[in-house]
Amino acid sequence: MLQAARPLASLAPVDPPAGVSERAGLAVEVRGVRKDFGATTAVAELSFEVRPHQFVSIVGPSGCGKSTALRIIAGLLRSTAGTVTVWGDRVKGPLADAGMVFQAPVLLPWRNVIDNVLFACEMRGERAERYRLRARELIQLAGLRDFEGHYPHELSGGMQQRVSICRSLLLHPRLLLMDEPFGALDVMTRERMGFELLRLCDLGEYTVLFVTHSISEAVLLSDAIVIMRGRGDAAKPHTLEIDLPRPRTLATLRDSRFVELAAAVREEFELGRGS
Amino acid sequence: MNEAGQNAGKATLAFVAILLAWQFGAPWARIPAYVLPVPTAIAQKFWQTRAVQLEHLGQTASTTLLGLAAALLVGVLLALLVVYARSLRAVVLPVLAAFNSIPKIAIAPLIVMWFGLDTEPKIVLAFLLALFPIFVNSVTGLGEIEPDMLDLSRLLGGNARRIFVKVRLWHAAPHIADALKVAFPMSLVGSVVGEFISGNRGAGYLVMSGQMTLDTPLVFAALLSITALAMAGIGAVAFFERTFLSWRPSMRSR
Repeated sequence: MLQAARPLASLAPVDPPAGVSERAGLAVEVRGVRKDFGATTAVAELSFEVRPHQFVSIVGPSGCGKSTALRIIAGLLRSTAGTVTVWGDRVKGPLADAGMVFQAPVLLPWRNVIDNVLFACEMRGERAERYRLRARELIQLAGLRDFEGHYPHELSGGMQQRVSICRSLLLHPRLLLMDEPFGALDVMTRERMGFELLRLCDLGEYTVLFVTHSISEAVLLSDAIVIMRGRGDAAKPHTLEIDLPRPRTLATLRDSRFVELAAAVREEFELGRGS
Repeated sequence: MNEAGQNAGKATLAFVAILLAWQFGAPWARIPAYVLPVPTAIAQKFWQTRAVQLEHLGQTASTTLLGLAAALLVGVLLALLVVYARSLRAVVLPVLAAFNSIPKIAIAPLIVMWFGLDTEPKIVLAFLLALFPIFVNSVTGLGEIEPDMLDLSRLLGGNARRIFVKVRLWHAAPHIADALKVAFPMSLVGSVVGEFISGNRGAGYLVMSGQMTLDTPLVFAALLSITALAMAGIGAVAFFERTFLSWRPSMRSR
């Protein structure tokens, strides 16, 4: 199929390839995942699931193993115990159909904005020309239309991260993995990027797994939050559904339900500290 | 006048000042011409011997460039070996480090004994001196890629070949350009030392024949040729950088 010819409105992920069984219809299923690095336990018995089109955040303090968990789900790290299933398939190596955004934009300094976005299809071995229109569309959606030909060092941190998000969306990934994507940005930019991400995701109905240490960011963006409290078996992760209405806007931040939920997440951390 | 032009002007001025001090200072201090000929005498000699200079310099340039090309090829291949075959790293790195600690100039007579009196030992010496800087920088350039960048490339479906062509090679280019700036004068040293020891061709031979006949202006004229060649080589690499590596941090215009 010719993605490049798709109109702006159809940014939806492509249909699953034929023959892929979607057990229980889950996008991601994490069962009893544990990761030890030598004698230290980075992740202790993590279990949660992500349904298709859900936005799920993993929240926890620094060093609680949330990035490690995301890397295991992406297939970049092997877990010590437990299983990860993505779209019904056991994860054994790097996922083939996932977009990834890291805390740093990791752009190629020798490529301009559009060529950085097109890097995604080149790595898959597809011709860049087929995706040029789609790349333009994404760049435009991200508000970078006038910067297509600019090099990364000519962009601000927020703009660089938007390029990185465009790159992750180029191939219509069915699953988007984000490891503290806004962690290096200032608070104002961070908030705006959150809303922009929601806008992009609503357009495409993506399934997103988002790692952050910011409680308010997690509550604002997510349908469900996985709370990781730290090391040790006593602090088992726990999932909290976020029933705030969509679309989420700046007004959501002042909603009493938002405040309530954020307080509930914080309380979970305090409980974790006590045990 | 812009800042770069002003700086160039200042540098020229300083250079002219040194030449004037030399021109008038040397006779004034009664330094004999066979010890330190004045700049005009050197220039005159250089002009008189220009055809010979060019011929010998061409010889030196060809052995230097051949040695450098061989060092580039072997250095990058060895770096690839170290980057991709991790088990070989433990073998190759210490051997090369030990090799690098041998002063190559000191083994030049041995190289001449092994490779004869013709151009071969000059090429080998140029190669040996250029190899290490190229190897070390290639290892850095090809190997030290951000882990996130490699993870990302793999998640996007990149295989080893695509990651090599589209990420590693590009990342290595500025490192290798830097290496060449160091390696070019090094391989020139190799060639010239080779010519000191044996043979009757090359700018190094010209220096030696000037020394034998106490023709000090000829020695200086030959040194001038060698310096010009070194500057041309570094200039060529800098031109390549400005043209193709304009994205690298040190090349960005502010």
